[in-house]
Order: sequence, then C-alpha cells, then structure tokens
Amino acid sequence: MSRPSQWIAIVVVAALALLPFLPGAVDAYYFSFLFFVFLYAVMAQSWNLVAGYGGQISLGSHAFFGLGAYTTAILWSGNYLWGSLYDSHPNIYYFDPVTMLLGGFVAALAAVLIGLPLLSKLHGDYFALGTLGFGEIVKVIFVNGGDFTGGAFGIVAPASSFDTLRPHYWVGLGLMVATALAIRALMRSRYGLALIAVRDDEMAASANGIDTLKVKVAAFAGSAFIAGVAGSLYTFYIFHVGPDSVFDLDWMLLPLMMTVVGGTGTLLGPILGALVMYAVFDLARIVVPDYHPVISGLTIILAMLFLPKGLMRSFVGKARTA
Amino acid sequence: MVNLPPPEILLQLSLNGALGGAMYGVAAVGLSLIFGTMRLIFLAQGAMIILAAYFVRALFYGLGVDPFLSLLIVVPVGLGVGWLIYQGLFRQAAAEADRNVSLLIAVGLMFLVQNLMTVIWGGNTAGVVTSYTASGIELFGVRTSFTRSMGFLIALSGTGLVMLFLRKTIVGKAVRAASEDMDAATLMGISPHRVNAIAFAIGISLAGAAGVAVATTFPFNPFAGFIFSLKALVALALGGIGNVTGALAGGILLGLIEAYVQFFISGGWTNAIAYGVFLLVLMFKPEGLFSRPYKKA
Repeated sequence: MSRPSQWIAIVVVAALALLPFLPGAVDAYYFSFLFFVFLYAVMAQSWNLVAGYGGQISLGSHAFFGLGAYTTAILWSGNYLWGSLYDSHPNIYYFDPVTMLLGGFVAALAAVLIGLPLLSKLHGDYFALGTLGFGEIVKVIFVNGGDFTGGAFGIVAPASSFDTLRPHYWVGLGLMVATALAIRALMRSRYGLALIAVRDDEMAASANGIDTLKVKVAAFAGSAFIAGVAGSLYTFYIFHVGPDSVFDLDWMLLPLMMTVVGGTGTLLGPILGALVMYAVFDLARIVVPDYHPVISGLTIILAMLFLPKGLMRSFVGKARTA
Repeated sequence: MVNLPPPEILLQLSLNGALGGAMYGVAAVGLSLIFGTMRLIFLAQGAMIILAAYFVRALFYGLGVDPFLSLLIVVPVGLGVGWLIYQGLFRQAAAEADRNVSLLIAVGLMFLVQNLMTVIWGGNTAGVVTSYTASGIELFGVRTSFTRSMGFLIALSGTGLVMLFLRKTIVGKAVRAASEDMDAATLMGISPHRVNAIAFAIGISLAGAAGVAVATTFPFNPFAGFIFSLKALVALALGGIGNVTGALAGGILLGLIEAYVQFFISGGWTNAIAYGVFLLVLMFKPEGLFSRPYKKA
C-alpha cells in the first residue's frame, strides 16, 4: 500500500472503531450488519491465504470454522480451562483470548493432520475434493460425538453473558484488521515469496530449494487458524453451536465467493468482496424476503460472468498482490 | 466376532445397496463427462436432478403423464437445457485460466435452482405416487420394488447409451479426445466449445433421467440435490475421474458400502465412512478402483 492509501486505511479503521460511541449506533441495523461483514471478511482472508496466495483451492474452510466454534463452546460449557475462577468470574470465557486462540489452534492442528497426507498426495482438483470430503467427515464426527459434542443438537453456551453487541463489533473489527496486517507482513516476508512461488510454479519453486510441502501445509494451517478464531467469535454471538449451523457449507461457499468477487490474491479484495456481497445478500433479504436466495444465486452468476477477475483488479486499478 | 446374518439378508442388502447406488452412478456419469472436458466440478448436478424430479411430478399431476413415459420428454429437454447452460453461463468462463470462476457459476446456479424450486413448489418434501409405486418384484427370494428396479434399468441404459455414443460416434470420440488432452484435441481441429457443450447437454439429460428415477423412488425436497452432488463426486472418485462405466460402478459400490455400513455399524456413520473411503481412494488410487493405472506423459 502506498502512503496516501495507508492513511485512508488508518482513518477508516479509526472511524469504524469509534462508531459504537455514536449515540444509537449499537441498536442500529447497520451495527450488526458491520459485525457480519467483519466476520465474513476474516473468513474470506482465511480462504484467500491458502487459495489466493497459495493456489491450493480448499473446500473445507467450514470445517475449521466449526472446529473453532465447537472448541470454544466445549471449553466454555464444560469449564475445562479456568476451574474455580469460573465460579467467581462467570463471564471469564466470554471473549476470553485464550479460549479464542485455542479455537484457532485446534483448527490449525486439524489442518496439519489432514493437510500433510492430502497435500503430499493430492494436487489441484483432487485436493479440493479431498478437503470437501474432510469437511463432511468432521461434521459426522461431531453429530456422533455423544455428550461431548452434544450430538445433532449441539451445545448451548451461557447466553446470560450477553449484554451488548459492542464487544463483538470491536473484536470483529480487530480480527479483520489484524488478519489483514498479518497477511500483509507475511506476504512481504521470505515465506510469502515462497508461497507465491509454489503457487506459480511448484516444480520451479522446489528446484530453488523451497520445501513445497512445508510451505503449503503452513499456509493451510494458517488459513485454518484464522477460520478457527472466526468460528470462536461466532460462538460468542450465536451461543448455540450445532453441526448444521457451524459446519454449514455456507461458511465455506460465501467467503470463497466474496474473495473471488473481491479479487483472489489481493490484500483488500476479500474485505471489499465481503462488504459488497454481504450488502447484496442482506438487501435482498430485506427487500424481497421470499426470493432472496434466488437473488443471491443470480448475483454470483452475474458477478462471475461480468467480473471474473474480481472488483479489485477490475476497478481499483493496478491491484497489488501484497 | 460379528454374527453374520443369514444369506437372504446379505443378498437383500446388496440388492438394495446396488439399486440405490445406481442413482449416484448415473449422476456421477454426468459429472464425469463435464469434468472430463471442462475440468469443472459441476456442483449443481444434484440440483438439476431434483429440478427434473419436480418437472416429472408436475407432468404427472398436471397432465397425467406417466413418470416413466416422461423420460421421452425429460431427456430431450435436458439435452437442450444443458446446451443452453453451457452457451449462456460457462462458455466465457471455460476460457478463463482461473477455474474458480466456473466453480462459482456452478455454485450460483445451484443456489438459484434450489431456491427457485422452493419459491415455485415450496420447501416441503414432495413425491410421486402412482398406481404401481407400492408394487414389488420377487427374484431369487429377495424382494425389491418395481420403481427401484426401473431406476436401476434407467441408470444402466443411460450409461450404456453414453458409452455407445462415446465409443461409436465421431462426435463421441472428439469428446473423449478432448477429455484426454484438450490442447492436442484443439490442434486436431476439435472445437473446445462444441465438445464442452455436448458434454453439458449429455450431462444434464442424464440428470433428467436420474430425476425420473428419483421422483418415482424417493420423496424429495428442493435442497436434497446437494448431497446427491457430493455422493456423485464420491462415486466419481471411486470409479476413476473420466471413466464413464467406472462412474456407474463407483456409484453402485458406494450404494453397497452405505447399505452395509447402515446395517452393520450405524446409520449415523454412513456418510463419514463413505467420505473416508473417498479420501483413501483419492490418496492411494487416484486413478480410481476400476481403471488400470497409467503412466502420465
């Protein structure tokens, strides 16, 4: 990013961060709208890291989102983390950074375990199919997890901790900014260059001494970590974590769509895509409630027919890759 | 040790599994053709099958057309719709190097079709009940329903016709050549758009045929298609991507696996085991179970 656009970004983030202090903002419709834009932008960045920069199309992000959400709900409802502190501080799990990071770590661990065999054996479409299969397996495991996972119903976290949407908003905004900054720093590092090299020509990259498997698995795990933390944040919003809600394929398809509409392999594309697409979906939901999924489907098709390279590359001039 | 159930039950299980699996198989044959030429995972195939099922239902209850007779309408309509879908939606995207674009168009089409069906026919489960829905046939001591057997026949003959087309006609050979190596096929004067459109036309008409089989056998709802697409993908991988008879065999194998898992383990684990087999096959025998391994040039 050039200097002036850096300043624009800082001003926009600062304005967004101060928004909750505006009288009435918290109860306004756009407040929860923005929260979901942040959440989807984080998920879109997660997908963009492995698919846009890494070139490995993953169709399993919903599994990592769900793993993060479940980890949070299980730790919280079973009080596995804070012991007796939980009695004196009943809200200790609510937006607890340790719990959220653990959500990310569990997802990343799963990504390493499944990524090592998949990425060493499978390329291209086969990897995409493999991750899709993995997502379905994880979902079935959670449905059959008995008391530990709450079965087909899932787990209910103590919703009494809910007071206002403000923390969700700030944490969502913070995650979105942190993810973007982390990916920006990453893509300017040696590792980021290696990732791009693997995407563009795996054989050439490996001939230049890059351990391609390590690079790909690390990107997959990083992507899963981001998705897991996003899932954890969603638990604090929804309080009821069930297999059909957090392992819903939409958690993979919508971020994928947002990234492609915004521009794959660009830093701001996922954020722009999340904003535009979520606005379209939500507008359709309000204006034509009966037909809104029809409109969503139509929007995806039209966007792909007329903007196959994404908004960033089509309108925002020369898009930067990092 | 597990106590083996009597042989009649095993036979019955195998028959049920094979008949149900043939439906996945016929969906997989369509996916295989489309994947072969376009390298596109056409996720909307299941939604197209359900759309065909609703169409069959509308023909039956609206005009009194017998579901199996409606094959004569559904299959040609499917050919036309497939051609149109390719020309209208995928023609441009097929030329893009970024295959996310075609994948997303397929996803968009799936959303669109699913929700249009919900708007038109409602989200409730629907079915087609004819005078012969409840009738069964008995063969070698095992019973099966008439409609399921018809579904199996439709799957077999559909795959057979596609095989004949691919092997015996010059256009079919062009499709096969294109799925083996699109660049080389283009150099031989084969138009990629034409073979892609043909693959789509046949793929969707197979979805139509599968729709007839689904409509007469199962209750269905607008969102039942996606799981069908997933199962068809598993069948495709089991049979070997690009192998048409393998796709049908893969579907039947998947049906058998599901039937046995349901009986011996539990219905709740069926999907996990089916996808587990899918992952293992992808990793250790990516050319499929029914193809001879080949060396890539």
